[in-house]
Amino acid sequence: MRRPRAIRSGGHLARKDGAIAGYLIKRLLLSIATLWLLSVLIFAGARLLPGNVGRAMLGPFADERAVQVLNHELGTDRPLLTQYASWISGLVTGDLGQSYAYQAPVAPFLQTALLNSGKLALLAFLMVVPLGILGGVLAALYRDRWPDRILSVVGLSATVVPEFVSGIILILIFGVWLRWFPISATPPRDAGFFLQLYHLILPSIPLVLVLFGYIARMARAGMIEALDADYTRTAVLKGLSFPRVIWRHVLRNALLPTISVISTQTVYLIGGLVVIEILFHYQGIGSLIYVAATKKDFPMLQDGIMAIGILFTITTLFADLLYAVLNPRIRFQRQE
Amino acid sequence: MKRNHRLLDLLRKGRSPLENHLIDGFVDGRVSRREFLRHGSVLGLSVPLLSATTGALGFQLATSSPARAASGGTLRVGQIVPAGSIEPAKIADGGGITVLSQVAENLVLSAPDLTAQPLLALSWAPNDDGSVWTFKLRPGVKFHDGRVMNAGDVVATFDRLTDPEVGSNALSAFTGVLSKGGTRKVDDLTVEFHLDAPNGSFPFTVSTDNYNAVILPADYAGDFEAKMNGTGPFKMVSYAAKQGASFERNPDYWGGAPLLDRVEFSFYDDYQPQILALLGNEIDVVQYIPVLQAAAVMSNPEIAVINTPSSAHEQVHMRNDMAPFTDKRVRQAIALCLDRNQLVQGLMRGMAEVGNDSPFMPAYPSTDKTVAQRDIDIATARQLMEAAGMPDGFEVELTTEKYQEIPEYAQVIQNAVREIGGRITLNIMDQGAYYGDAVPGKSAWLDSTLGITDYGHRGVPNVFLQAPLLSTGTWNGAHFNNKEYDGLVSGYVAALDLEAQRSAAGKIQRLLLDETPIIFGYFYNFLTATRTGVSGVVPTAMSHLFLQQASL
Repeated sequence: MRRPRAIRSGGHLARKDGAIAGYLIKRLLLSIATLWLLSVLIFAGARLLPGNVGRAMLGPFADERAVQVLNHELGTDRPLLTQYASWISGLVTGDLGQSYAYQAPVAPFLQTALLNSGKLALLAFLMVVPLGILGGVLAALYRDRWPDRILSVVGLSATVVPEFVSGIILILIFGVWLRWFPISATPPRDAGFFLQLYHLILPSIPLVLVLFGYIARMARAGMIEALDADYTRTAVLKGLSFPRVIWRHVLRNALLPTISVISTQTVYLIGGLVVIEILFHYQGIGSLIYVAATKKDFPMLQDGIMAIGILFTITTLFADLLYAVLNPRIRFQRQE
Repeated sequence: MKRNHRLLDLLRKGRSPLENHLIDGFVDGRVSRREFLRHGSVLGLSVPLLSATTGALGFQLATSSPARAASGGTLRVGQIVPAGSIEPAKIADGGGITVLSQVAENLVLSAPDLTAQPLLALSWAPNDDGSVWTFKLRPGVKFHDGRVMNAGDVVATFDRLTDPEVGSNALSAFTGVLSKGGTRKVDDLTVEFHLDAPNGSFPFTVSTDNYNAVILPADYAGDFEAKMNGTGPFKMVSYAAKQGASFERNPDYWGGAPLLDRVEFSFYDDYQPQILALLGNEIDVVQYIPVLQAAAVMSNPEIAVINTPSSAHEQVHMRNDMAPFTDKRVRQAIALCLDRNQLVQGLMRGMAEVGNDSPFMPAYPSTDKTVAQRDIDIATARQLMEAAGMPDGFEVELTTEKYQEIPEYAQVIQNAVREIGGRITLNIMDQGAYYGDAVPGKSAWLDSTLGITDYGHRGVPNVFLQAPLLSTGTWNGAHFNNKEYDGLVSGYVAALDLEAQRSAAGKIQRLLLDETPIIFGYFYNFLTATRTGVSGVVPTAMSHLFLQQASL
């Protein structure tokens, strides 16, 4: 009797793994197609902007001959298809090309910017996710009572204040007036972990303010739905302790929508912080792309956007997988 | 005025007829002391001679060397990030100029008081018609690698910049002035410039105004960023594109070693973060603050603002070949609607000079100050509109760029012309989109009926008189086409003596006031902010930042 059961259960496991692997391969192929499409769009989009590269670099008052010499040196006078082919073939082989403006390889710029953005995003993430979830859980548990009211008013007001406003206020209070924190998010060279952290605290607060309300609201809604669900009532009636009910039954189900929200915000936290990066004097990927676009530094612009595209693909894939692991309905729907 | 004629006679000996003519004009009172100093400096009269002459006349030229302050320390400077790599021939932005001015130098300094001062050149003089200029170089100037600068380096530098194959950004400044091969070595410390046409202001063409024209070694082969080998007061320690740079004092500097040990530059993408960093004591100097942003620090006791006069301005061009501006009376009427004093006091917080619809700002020595200042006059403006057959006004789009105070200026103009029935719609674009390809047909700047364009500082008005206004001018957004004007400008450019320049200037000023192709409402100052306690910082309105005398 035991043997067949074991085989059955083994087969069940294999089916489950196969389903996830198939799902993964399909998603990966789709991602590659999306990225290729993105490369075409960004290449074409950059070239639709008025003006030419040499002119943008030398300025409106430069001699036309000088502009032509520069365009020839940069290769921007070659046919568009040739330029696209040379860019994309380089990209596939790991050669990101040369920045037009800085006459230097793009890779080190992109690497520094991604690393910087990653650090800031991680710190903001580590601060806002627990805070947001905790806030949402508390609000749901004290639904329509004063903790809920305060949390929703505070969260909502913080969300509608733009980052540059909260950023300037924070700088003026903690940087200029009290001088508790450095204004520049860029630490001195060779700074250790804690000094880097110290420089990043002030700029991460505006991000926490923007995202806290959002995450807390999602968590609150999920919690309320889960608290009202039949399985929770069953668990309570079954006689489980309150913390056990919340932890095992409510949170698991309540946080599913919150995870997808957080995953989309991760990309914002890395690529969308132009204003914060400029205000706090920080070399991140957002301002790198923004400046490259205004200066028509196409290799830097294209590689930067591709990096964000890849990051977006990876985080959504990861979030979907996490969602699938937590939600059996997604995991098994293919077999039904 | 007490005159010492014997001393004057002594000083006149060995001077060219031109130089003596200027001295005569000064003695007779036709040329003021300030104008004498300014123009004498262009002709190459040396500073000791200028001071001796004015001294002989009962004046004393203030000594320009400041007291030596305490040595040492590191100065932290904030500046806008250079737009590209630091390649002297290609630099086209203020951020790049600020960095370059630490390590490399021009022959001549276009000083804030609009005089030409010696840098790597010790003196200069024109021939009789101003077609050949001879420059004596400063002896014993060393590049950072230890080699001594000589005439060969100067010739190679100018041949490189005037070579169309190199595609230098200075090509537009040299066109019609100096061609490749025109720079010739006479001896190790003497260079002759054989010009394409006589030019009375040539020293400014090789001055800091032409920021690309820094003297590099004859064998310079590119990749300036690696060593930054120039003659400047500071030597590069490290340079990180988009982040910052550090420099150390050059002990062999020809002007004496700088006071500071080091200078640390941080590159910013915008002005506001620099102001915040200055307030928070994270930097000591902000190299440039636009007037509109400066309000935040003007009244702060911890901050000192250095106010450098400049000829920077915004040109409001009206397409002379397109309705409604084909009739000059309409153009005059619009110019008469502007309250220029209000523009200076309100829009520019008093940090500007009133303009009189020509590039001749009051501070230029050649400006004819007898030309009446145009002022707000709505009654006359209405009469002009009626005479032009447009009593009900006009409708037009004002196209311009989002840059500094220009959008606000556009709104001021929009409101002002309502008085004469002018209905202006605003089209404010990104700077890159406004300039477009910078050739007619592919540029909002050159194609728009009505537009506002920013022009940076120049020590002499020549560029402003030529490119935006000559019938052949490449930046002629107004499409102004006037043969009489073209003739007057070539006369002005060739004129060597101040009185001939001023006579030509007066004619140009009157012609431009009558035709009004472009409104020059104001010329604004260049502001640099430091923390109090920092001294000796010398900015130019061209974005150079001279720190050899700076101390903490």
